[in-house]
Amino acid sequence: MSPEISNQSLWFLIIFVVIPLSVSYFYQLGLSRNVIVASLRGTVQLFAIGYILTYLFDLNAYIGIPLMVTVMLVVASFHARKKGKELPYVLPVIFGGLVLVEVSVLAMWLLFGMVEFIPSEVIPMSGMVIGNSMVAMGLALERMKSEFSENRGRLLAALSLGAEPKQASTLIVQRTLNAALIPNVDRIKTIGLVQLPGMMTGLILGGVEPIMAIKYQLVISLSIFSSVSLSAMFVTLIMYRHFFTENKQLLESEEAMLAYASNQEK
Amino acid sequence: MIEFRNVSHGPLRDISFTLQKQERAILFGPSGTGKSTLLFLFNRLKDPEEGEIFYNGKPLTDVPIIELRQKFGLLLQSPNLFPGTVLDNLKYGPSLTNSWRPGREKELLEYVQLSPEMKDRDVDHLSGGQQQRVSLARTLANEPEVLLLDEPTSALDDKTGEDIETVLKELIEQQGLTMVMVTHQMAQARRLGTNGLFMNEGTIEEHGKIPEMLEQPQSKALKEYLQG
Repeated sequence: MSPEISNQSLWFLIIFVVIPLSVSYFYQLGLSRNVIVASLRGTVQLFAIGYILTYLFDLNAYIGIPLMVTVMLVVASFHARKKGKELPYVLPVIFGGLVLVEVSVLAMWLLFGMVEFIPSEVIPMSGMVIGNSMVAMGLALERMKSEFSENRGRLLAALSLGAEPKQASTLIVQRTLNAALIPNVDRIKTIGLVQLPGMMTGLILGGVEPIMAIKYQLVISLSIFSSVSLSAMFVTLIMYRHFFTENKQLLESEEAMLAYASNQEK
Repeated sequence: MIEFRNVSHGPLRDISFTLQKQERAILFGPSGTGKSTLLFLFNRLKDPEEGEIFYNGKPLTDVPIIELRQKFGLLLQSPNLFPGTVLDNLKYGPSLTNSWRPGREKELLEYVQLSPEMKDRDVDHLSGGQQQRVSLARTLANEPEVLLLDEPTSALDDKTGEDIETVLKELIEQQGLTMVMVTHQMAQARRLGTNGLFMNEGTIEEHGKIPEMLEQPQSKALKEYLQG
């Protein structure tokens, strides 16, 4: 294996972009623009972060880590918010959830000596935890919105039978968490059998002993497993309440939810 | 028993009427005039934007909301059953207030003319008519004083709709329930209702005894509605 990927070799990665582009063109999927933008954006972002990380890793841990983790939390919050931007208070809820998850996971890592408090360890691992939690929160929000709209009749029936909003929403909360957590459970089930996870692969390619790479992978995989569950649960259990008024009435639409929330603030 | 005083909400404007105990009122009129909205005001699935509603002389808002909803049973157009068995559905309302009595399912299924053996059936395996009967039995499990029916047979075929209607008629008469029903079927209104409220453009355009309203409509809107 070559010790370093040359810049010339990298140019050939274009082939990997041409394949999905051709599929999109051939089947008229209308994804060509997205494929090009995503590939270019991803490349630029990765190179930029490469340079930034080199700089951050040289900084004092007490400056570099909070700085980069804050940036990650803010960017992830705004990204996850897109999946439920019509819902009231969604941004602070997502941000709060991500902070909670990151702080808990980081505390565990440090407390039990799994990770050292140095930028080169904490930043990439936090990135993986925050990124996966962001996806889970987005999935949960999207699923919750569709469950609420599909089960409107059932919710009205439950409320009219005397259920509290929490009782009426039990099914929706279960289905939402299921949808958000199943990919995570499947990933853990097949880990090492179907795919060698990214972090472990990276460490092995970088020359680390496989057993050591596996230890790191275990730490990150189980951290992600737990943080994804926690973040999906956090966003679901807080956000479902906003579908109801304080008089246990179901709000008709996302516009009605926003109007109700702004009236409550007055 | 129930009095609406100058109530407005969404399409509804300045609605006033009184409903007596054991009265069977039919809400009818063109689509989009707020009939379902009016029905939801009874059990506070919606609250009036203006005006007030009284129940036995007390403002509706003074009655604890869960108690109120259990007194005003609502049956919607679709059964909206919860996943699980027939029994799970029947127990739902009473279990919320820990008032379910084991064995009660037999009596409830009898009310809606279903066999007691059906209690363990998965609701997904029932026909549309059976599902609507289970939904009605689920509403009755709370022992409501008032039945609010939002086009309860409109999603069913004629024969099944008629069967449900027969069940409803017998129940209401036997148990002396007060009823408010939204329907577009005038023959059904005639068979089930005592009084009528004809709604048009968010207001009650005409009200009175059902047979008279249908035979001698006074307002131009009701005449047109009955002809159309």
